Amino acid sequence: MDLILITAQVAAETGETAGRAIGLGLGTGLAALGTGIGLGFIFGKTIEAVSRQPELRGDIQSIQWLGFALTEATVFYGFIAGLIAFFV
Amino acid sequence: MTLRLHRLLAPLSLALGLVLLGPAAARAADGEATLNPSEEFALPDWVSIKIGGLDLSINKAVFYVLLATALTTGVMIWAARRMAARPTGRVQTVVEMAFGLMRDNITRGNMDARMAAKWFPFIATLFLFIWFSNMIGYLPLPTNTTHTFDVFGLEIPSFALYAATANISVPLVLALVVWISYHVEGIRAKGFLPYIRSWVPAGVEGFMVGPILAIEALSHFVRLISLSLRLFANILAGHLLILFMAGGLVILLGMGLFGSLVLGIATGTLAVAFFLFEIGLVATLQAFIFSTLTAIYLGGAVAEEH
Repeated sequence: MDLILITAQVAAETGETAGRAIGLGLGTGLAALGTGIGLGFIFGKTIEAVSRQPELRGDIQSIQWLGFALTEATVFYGFIAGLIAFFV
Repeated sequence: MTLRLHRLLAPLSLALGLVLLGPAAARAADGEATLNPSEEFALPDWVSIKIGGLDLSINKAVFYVLLATALTTGVMIWAARRMAARPTGRVQTVVEMAFGLMRDNITRGNMDARMAAKWFPFIATLFLFIWFSNMIGYLPLPTNTTHTFDVFGLEIPSFALYAATANISVPLVLALVVWISYHVEGIRAKGFLPYIRSWVPAGVEGFMVGPILAIEALSHFVRLISLSLRLFANILAGHLLILFMAGGLVILLGMGLFGSLVLGIATGTLAVAFFLFEIGLVATLQAFIFSTLTAIYLGGAVAEEH
């Protein structure tokens, strides 16, 4: 009986740890998925815009970096949410 | 110039990577195979200063803030004093380039001339402080006082990577300063109620004003979170990546001598790549983004129409 209780407790604890780890991995991974798509759009559109209007390259590139950093930050929202799930 | 910089960067970063690998390898050899990554971000008190319930102790993060402040003021004053009408050195070219970026792109691109003249010093200081703070975060400094090693009898703290901006309190304070100043500037320019009313885009009338205002108020609050979290999480994630790749992963997995060696070489290479990415792009880009968004918020708060 004791053994079953201990096993159940250990299983519950491992289950909780596993759940936290899944939360961190899934949160960051899904956030990275969206961010990857977003970054692809930004750089793809920049290439398209520069090939249409090569003389505006400088202007387009400065907007591109702004968009890059804003989009890139979204992965960290998932990452921080995962860390909160993992540690708190 | 870029070519020479690249040539210099590769061996330099390799050396830095080896410095990073050193303590990890030593600890692995000691049989002390328990690496706690959060230890690298722990802040033991160096000089304990406690006034009542207020904890003003000097720790690693405070040291990095002070170092970044000293570097920002010191380097810029030094560069300003040796400015010449006929540029002689490379320093002046670089500083003038940075000045042009801060004044023309970041500040003037996002607000009118009067506002730009008023807020340029603030935005430029913000940019330089964050930049220096990020950059010294990638230099291994002997700051890990939890673990020490001996050099000819001298107890030297382990070399560690840390950045003031990898601690949420520093970006949060910077974001709060920005957040409060752009609201104050908006209220000064328009008056309290008209400023609040200006959040609602033109053309929204009647019963829709309430919900839109609520959404806009929420978005202003979220700016505080996103502005601080973007800088903090970028730098923290960069440091974590470098830390794990440069030894943390090998120690955590503990796959025996051969496995560790193979994995260590693979992740060590990745660590150098991440290091170059962080120091070459992320550090500057985050400083640029933070100051650009500051300028956009300040310009948007006083702009006539939304």
